[in-house]
Amino acid sequence: MVNMDREIALDVKDLRIRYRCLQSFSIKSSLLKLKKADARVFEAVRGVTFSVPRGEILGIVGQNGSGKSTMLRAIAGIFSPDEGSIDLHGHSVSLLSIGVGFQRSLTGRENIILSGMLLGFSERQVREKMDEIIKFASLGDFIDMPVRTYSSGMHSKLAFSITAILESDIMLIDEVLSVGDAKFRKKSYKKMEQLITQEDRTVLIVSHNTDTLQKLCTSVLWLHDGQVRMIGKPEDVLPAYDEFMS
Amino acid sequence: MMWKRLIRDLKRYFSYAKYSARSDLKSEVASSYLNWLWWILDPLMFMLVYTFIAVVVFKSQVRYFPIFVFIGLTFWNFFSKTVQGSVKLIRNNQNIVSKVYIPKFILVLERLFVNGFKMLISLLLVIVMMIIWKVPVTWRVIYMIPVIVILCLLTFGLSCIVTHFGVFVDDLYNVVQILLRLVFYLSGIFYSIENRLKDPLRTVMLSVNPVALLIQSGRQCLLYSMVPARKLLLLWGAASCLLVVIGFHVIYKYENSYVKIS
Repeated sequence: MVNMDREIALDVKDLRIRYRCLQSFSIKSSLLKLKKADARVFEAVRGVTFSVPRGEILGIVGQNGSGKSTMLRAIAGIFSPDEGSIDLHGHSVSLLSIGVGFQRSLTGRENIILSGMLLGFSERQVREKMDEIIKFASLGDFIDMPVRTYSSGMHSKLAFSITAILESDIMLIDEVLSVGDAKFRKKSYKKMEQLITQEDRTVLIVSHNTDTLQKLCTSVLWLHDGQVRMIGKPEDVLPAYDEFMS
Repeated sequence: MMWKRLIRDLKRYFSYAKYSARSDLKSEVASSYLNWLWWILDPLMFMLVYTFIAVVVFKSQVRYFPIFVFIGLTFWNFFSKTVQGSVKLIRNNQNIVSKVYIPKFILVLERLFVNGFKMLISLLLVIVMMIIWKVPVTWRVIYMIPVIVILCLLTFGLSCIVTHFGVFVDDLYNVVQILLRLVFYLSGIFYSIENRLKDPLRTVMLSVNPVALLIQSGRQCLLYSMVPARKLLLLWGAASCLLVVIGFHVIYKYENSYVKIS
């Protein structure tokens, strides 16, 4: 990688994630059919190793189903690896863009606090940032309405605002954002650029848009069938990937 | 290993469960202003119905019968609502569980807080009724504390286990519903197991079914200034602790796969 002298923010070693095609079953059907369901195992990520220095912006490319999102979700801690390890060196991490889940019967304001708590902030810390989040989300009076009354655009605007304002050391971005209306999209893109370019923030971006990655990233990882096909500078990896895809 | 993780998770997520429960209760009240009245009206109405059936139809001789029924319903509602709600708990919280890590037992804890608060309101009503009926009170009411603690442990442990199986078994909801209905009739909520049944059936029903035991103990110490069956309570207290440990263990071991199933 480019800056070897900088401290490492994220270490992924021989990461393997499997989906045991466990299907839920019903007692009725398993009593009627004595046939045992065969547990097929699908390995989405097969032995990926890389490390990201602090302040680096790593782009991740790959075909659909190559394990990009699975890997991001594992780094975010939603599920733990089946084999190998992910070491965050004590940094906080959040998945930008999908945001955190909301409780539909609660108001936007309450959901901001709950989401913040799930991201590892205390209630007081979230309250301090509350005004900023509400201002950025620009939902007007809807902020005190239950989230179930929100349109899908408002829903994702709030989700983005929470994760963008409550900054974490490592940000994971799954697909470049297309949140809300044109105005909010411009605003969120600007905010994201500003977040990304901060000196000591580490960012992982999954995207299919090689132009964006070319502009933003300091290095690029190409995943293919759950394995690292190539890793290096954008100008080396991206042309090879483009050629492969065409 | 498990204990360390448990303590860390509790420290980090306890306030989440608390805040979430509080907001839940608030939104229940806000959505219709009769709502918090329903927490009381529901057991109150059933109390009237059962009192009518037992006193008028079956000529029951139980002292303080309305309070007797009300205590039973209060305990039962807490227990059955929490257990039943935990069957689809993960599925209902899919949009949180799939986007951020949360120890899954925290979701169970949150439900326990919500239903526990409603039980508290119900218990306050019990006190009001005891004043109205002029029930003599002795120091033995302090047995209420271990009774409630055991009830909470039992409910929590069982709910954790049900939550786990609820992820994998599609029709568990029906099964749990039928089982709960069965236990309801066997727990002596609107009749006295003590007076209506003879040994050995009486002893078996009170020692095998912890809900029946807890309800009976609660009534004994509150209404009749009696000391409940301490040995049995201790035994079920230990068993409930074991259930809680099993619940934690099962959820920690398998929660990773809850997200991957759809």
